[in-house]
Amino acid sequence: MRPRLLLLILLGEFGLFVLATHVYSSLSPLSLLASGLVLESFSGFEGIAEGMNRKGRKAHAPAAIIGNSGIRHEFAFAVVPDSGKPTVVVDTELAVEDVDDTKVLKFYVKVFDVRPERAILCVSPKLSSRAAALANEYGIEVLEDEVPRRLLKLAEKAIDEKPNQEGS
Amino acid sequence: MNRTPHRIFPVHFAPDKKLVHIVVKLSDAPGSYSSILESLRTKVNLIGTATYTLSDGTAIFSGFAEALEATGTGEGLRELILKSGSALDAQVREGRDGLLIDTFHRGFTVDGDRYVLMRQGELVKMFDHVAQLLGSGGEALLYEEGVATGRWSADTAASRYGAGRVRAQAKEFNHLMTAEGMGDVDGQNGPGDGEFTVTVTECFECTGKPASRSGCSFMRGYLVGAAESIFGKKYACAEEKCSLKGKNSCEFRLTPKT
Repeated sequence: MRPRLLLLILLGEFGLFVLATHVYSSLSPLSLLASGLVLESFSGFEGIAEGMNRKGRKAHAPAAIIGNSGIRHEFAFAVVPDSGKPTVVVDTELAVEDVDDTKVLKFYVKVFDVRPERAILCVSPKLSSRAAALANEYGIEVLEDEVPRRLLKLAEKAIDEKPNQEGS
Repeated sequence: MNRTPHRIFPVHFAPDKKLVHIVVKLSDAPGSYSSILESLRTKVNLIGTATYTLSDGTAIFSGFAEALEATGTGEGLRELILKSGSALDAQVREGRDGLLIDTFHRGFTVDGDRYVLMRQGELVKMFDHVAQLLGSGGEALLYEEGVATGRWSADTAASRYGAGRVRAQAKEFNHLMTAEGMGDVDGQNGPGDGEFTVTVTECFECTGKPASRSGCSFMRGYLVGAAESIFGKKYACAEEKCSLKGKNSCEFRLTPKT
C-alpha cells in the first residue's frame, strides 16, 4: 500500500465541490472518484426536487421508498404523490468505463419492487451494449452523457416531459 | 432427547481408517435386516446406516463402516453378507486413503420428491452474493423467491396430503421445516385477529452472519407464500427480530392484509 493523493474539483450547477483526500488504504482512487461524482449527483437532484416541490410535485432527493416486499429502497430522486405510488424514480450510475448490465439489473429489481410509472437511469459515460439491451427490455429510460453534471439537466427535462397525473 | 441434525453419509473422511460402504438389497422376509447386521457384527463398526423400502417390496440397507480387520477385503465382506441368506444382492466398496464416497445413490428423495443436498453455507453465500450484487433490490428478489417457493411448497403439500389437513395441522408443518433444516421453527397465534408469529431459531438464512444481508428476506417471503396458500388470504410479514441484529432468534409477524 502506498499513500494516494486524490484531488477532485467538480464544478456542478449547484455548487463547487472540492474533495481532497489522503488515503492510506487499499481503496481504489476510481471508487473515490465515483463517490465524489455520486455526491455531486445527489446534491444536484436535491435542487431539482426543490424546484419541483415549489411547483406542487412531491419530489424527494434522495428518496427512500418501501417496496411491495417490505424492503426499503433508496433512489437518487423520486416523485411520490400522496397516494404513495411513485410516478418517477431516478438513479445514477457513474463509472470510468462503460456501465455494465449488473448495474441495470440492480436498478431494475428495485424498480420491480416499487412499481413506478417511469424509471430513469442516468449513466456516465454510457451503458455497455448488453446493459443497453437489458435496459430496453426492462422499459428503463436511459440518459447518458460523458459529463456527469450534464445529466442533471437531461434528467430534469426528462422528468418534466411527462409529469403524469400526480395527485397531490 | 434433544433434537439433533440428521446425519447422512454421502461422504465420510477418517484418515488412517479402512472405510467401506456396504449396500445390501434385502428380501421382505421378517428378520432379514437383523440377519445382515448379525453377519457384520464382528467385521465392521457401523458409522452411519440407512434402510428404506422400495416399490417392489424389497428394501435397501446402506451403511458406512470402519473395517475391524486390517486384512479383510470388501469382496470378503460381500460374500459373508450373501451367505446370510437374507441378502438378494450386495456390494461393498472400499474407501481410498481414508476417504469414502457413496457411489450407489443418485440424489435424495423425501416422500416422493427429489431433493438436492447442498451445504447450508453455500446457500447462505449465494443469497449473500445476490444481496451484494443487487443491494436492496437483491433483498426484494430474495423475498419474491421466498414467496414463490413457500407457495409452491404449501401447494405441493396440499395436493399430496389434502388442503384441509394441511390447514388443520399447519403447526405440524413447522416440524417439517425444522426437519428439513430451515431452522427450529415455532408458530404462535395472535396477538391480533388472524395474526400469527413464527419464531425461527438458528434460521438457515442468517446463520454465519452473511456480510451483505440486512434481514431474512427469503424466509419472510417463504412464510408469506406458504400462509397465503394454506389460508387463502393475503399476508404482510414483518421480521421483528433477527439474529443478524444480535437477537437469539428471528421472529416474523404475519398479518392478514385487509
